[in-house]
Amino acid sequence: MIQARHLTKRYGATTAVDAVDFTVEPGRVTGFLGPNGAGKSTTMRMILGLDAPTSGSVTVNGHAYADTGAPLREIGALLDADAVHPGRTARDHLRWLAVSNRIPQRRVDEVIGLVGLEKVAGRRVGAYSLGMGQRLGIAAALLGDPGTVVLDEPVNGLDPEGIRWVRELARQLAAEGRTVFVSSHLMSEMALMADHLIVIGRGTILADTSMTDFMAHHAASHVRLRSPQSREVAALLSGRGFAVTELDDEVRVIGADAAAVGELVCSHGLLLHELTLVRSSLEDAFMTLTAEAVEYHSTEGVAA
Amino acid sequence: MSTLAPPRGLITARPGFGSILHAEWVKLRTVRSTWWTLMALVVVGAGLTTLICALNAEWLASPEADESPGSFITFGMMLAPAAAVVLGVLTVTAEYGSGMIRSSFAAVPSRARVFTAKAVLLAAVLFVVGTATALLGYVGGNAFLEAEGIGVGLEGDVLRSMFGSGLYLAGLGVLAVAVGFLVRHTAGAVTILLTALFVLPTMVMLVPGETGQWINKLLPSNTGGSIAAPVMFNPNLLDPWVGFAVFLAEVAVVVALAGVMLRRRDA
Repeated sequence: MIQARHLTKRYGATTAVDAVDFTVEPGRVTGFLGPNGAGKSTTMRMILGLDAPTSGSVTVNGHAYADTGAPLREIGALLDADAVHPGRTARDHLRWLAVSNRIPQRRVDEVIGLVGLEKVAGRRVGAYSLGMGQRLGIAAALLGDPGTVVLDEPVNGLDPEGIRWVRELARQLAAEGRTVFVSSHLMSEMALMADHLIVIGRGTILADTSMTDFMAHHAASHVRLRSPQSREVAALLSGRGFAVTELDDEVRVIGADAAAVGELVCSHGLLLHELTLVRSSLEDAFMTLTAEAVEYHSTEGVAA
Repeated sequence: MSTLAPPRGLITARPGFGSILHAEWVKLRTVRSTWWTLMALVVVGAGLTTLICALNAEWLASPEADESPGSFITFGMMLAPAAAVVLGVLTVTAEYGSGMIRSSFAAVPSRARVFTAKAVLLAAVLFVVGTATALLGYVGGNAFLEAEGIGVGLEGDVLRSMFGSGLYLAGLGVLAVAVGFLVRHTAGAVTILLTALFVLPTMVMLVPGETGQWINKLLPSNTGGSIAAPVMFNPNLLDPWVGFAVFLAEVAVVVALAGVMLRRRDA
């Protein structure tokens, strides 16, 4: 279990993480979602005691990371795929990690097998592809068979097969009762992997909810209507308490049941040319939620 | 996909300092730069001594020689500090350069223990390699001196300069680790140390009078270097053991500063 209490990190005038509170529970995959620069990596570095919070605290199993006896046995982390000396082989990298936490050396070969690096474990890491580096980072995270696993952007650089593998691994680790905390800037990836979602933007928590609730609340759908009598249709629906928006050539009814809308319009003898239920994607929901909180906006209309 | 076999959370005792030292040893011996640097140290330290003795033996044995053969027997060791500081710096800055320092501090959250382990390891390796290299240079160089009948015995100041070379390089290794943690950048740290050891001594000669003499006395290359020299070239320097004590104090100041900064800064 990971608990953050008023966790804050400032770099000079910039507040990277602003008094966030959250709890990452065991037995489920908690997704940590936010645009680039939202404070995900900073938060994860503070969990591991690499960056000191400006104020507030974050604990793992009730204590600060530094108070852990053998940290790799308690919490395994993938922070940067390149947090490895390029001149050292993957096996040697895992070997020193194992030695430092008194993890048996046979475990090194076990995790190498687990991430599928058997054939290249004797090669220098500098020659690795991004995906191989990610697999090595995940091997290092699992080395101590920890009860808590923190993965920062684990699917970066992986091919589709690798992405599916990470997804299944995260789900399996959670099913085994571990605490699994996975960050990503891709909503679609989180939707497939996470049971619970913590959304961060500009250093503040925008949502902390189950995946199901998040979808229900934020992926708002609307009914799109086209009618030659659009003014009358809009008047009728808004008169009945629907949330109606009139656009140039369509009427939008937000959060309504398509069948009910269609029946009501029909029963008043109004013409309809189109009646469509439009589901907004999770990616859209995420964009909407974080629109205010994105650090770097692209200018629309420059490239079509 | 296989499952994760071993049971969890059975052993949570803090690994002892021995484990951390062992981990640092695995790190040190599994990168090629370590072996290249140590090889350079041996080749320069012992090879250059042998070469210089071979070239000068005849002259040293002749009546016009105005220098003692003893001062040639550690000649190559004057350059060995360069290799020692590069090795010491790299054990730290290579980790910052690659981002591996985060793996290191995640595995061992006590930064003081990581620092200490690196320093102890560097001191031990450089003492052994430094002393062995000095002895190798002695054996090689003295063979040529003996052929001219001017061999020097492995005793007194000559013997002291052998393990003194090891001690000086060990101290430099610790200094280099500390500077590495302060600067976090290979080129920067190496430049600072090579400037302090090889450039400053010649520049200080331009400082006149007693001030210049004192600065010269306190330069680490002189405080620490005297113990590695069988014959004193400069009568104004501190005695070898006094100098070495001052050198250790100088190293301690830099270590303390690096320790404070390491605690304060984010990894």
